[in-house]
Amino acid sequence: MKVGAVKLGVAPPAANRGIAILDFFLRLIAITGTLAGAIAMATTNQTLPFFSRFVRFRAKFNDLPSLAFFVVASSIVSAYLILSLALSVLHIVKANAVNSRVLLLLLDTAAMGLLMAGSSAAAAIVQLAHEGINKVNWFAICQQYNSFCKRVSGSLIGSYAGVLVLILLILLSGVALSRR
Amino acid sequence: MDSTHSTKESTQIPIPMTESKSAKTAPPPVVVAATKKAAQRPLVTRWKRGLGIFDFILRICAIAAALAAATAMGTTNQQLPFFTQFFQFKADYNDLPAFTFFVIANATAGAYLVLSLPFSIVCIVRPHIVGARLMLIVFDTIAVPLITAAASAAASIVYLAHNGNSNANWAAICQQFDDFCQRVSGAVVASFITAVIFMVLVVVSAVALRRN
Repeated sequence: MKVGAVKLGVAPPAANRGIAILDFFLRLIAITGTLAGAIAMATTNQTLPFFSRFVRFRAKFNDLPSLAFFVVASSIVSAYLILSLALSVLHIVKANAVNSRVLLLLLDTAAMGLLMAGSSAAAAIVQLAHEGINKVNWFAICQQYNSFCKRVSGSLIGSYAGVLVLILLILLSGVALSRR
Repeated sequence: MDSTHSTKESTQIPIPMTESKSAKTAPPPVVVAATKKAAQRPLVTRWKRGLGIFDFILRICAIAAALAAATAMGTTNQQLPFFTQFFQFKADYNDLPAFTFFVIANATAGAYLVLSLPFSIVCIVRPHIVGARLMLIVFDTIAVPLITAAASAAASIVYLAHNGNSNANWAAICQQFDDFCQRVSGAVVASFITAVIFMVLVVVSAVALRRN
């Protein structure tokens, strides 16, 4: 038997670097989804060919305040995600960073909350526009503004994908923090 | 600073060597008293335990908020004494799908919080545990968007009920259903408080997970 001493307490940073690379690519996907949703909603503009006395013949995202909130929230979150790419690259380079990972997790949680709030406020309005509530005389406007409704629904899909990716990013940061 | 410091911490365990022919040339057994780590460990334990207690208290507050929101929304039932041609004279949370989702989501969050209390207690009793904290952070991260979705969908409908929308010909119904609107607005506020508490819980779990 040889003399020796066993050294404990040094975790391999290779796994954390793999997690950081995955984090970077997931962030790129989230940027795509969120930005696509914001742009698709902001460029809605459907004008109906006929003229009616009671209903306006043009639909834009501005007309419904929840959709305007969605555009603002998505834009803020996509700007944040683009800026956070820098922190993600820092984690790839320096795999032992702890405080910046906690900061990134905190900011990701706030961004996810904001994006989810915007998306679901818009989703509630879109569901109302598709079906309406006859009890309180709120009629479904999607039967007239067909293209507007389709575009708005598509943009919501993009931003919900962004929320899903943000959840994965938070879980990745948590796992990376616990592996040391 | 913390990260580089902890990577330099190490514990050396002495392994006794057997007597051999070259015993006199072998070096003496090494006993390194890891005094630095032993002195730091009670401090880290105390600090993590403090975070665990804070987590537990926040969970209790979140239970109160989530159940209050679900109850306030679920017990809405306003009947107007008069009868008009255009409006139904009864308002219930069932009439609006966003409110139904709100009640379900807040009740689910309240139930999850009650079930997660034992895990939170385990994290107080054993501050260095990783598995329970990781599980709590996973489920809290799933709960944040659920509660945020419910709260903001209901807020969107409540805003519409208060103000109406002339572009879509949606009339403001709060002018008639006053009590219903007040109750529903209070429920939405309680739900947003729950969402903020969940976000703080995620960050607390993350901070307590580090430096393991």
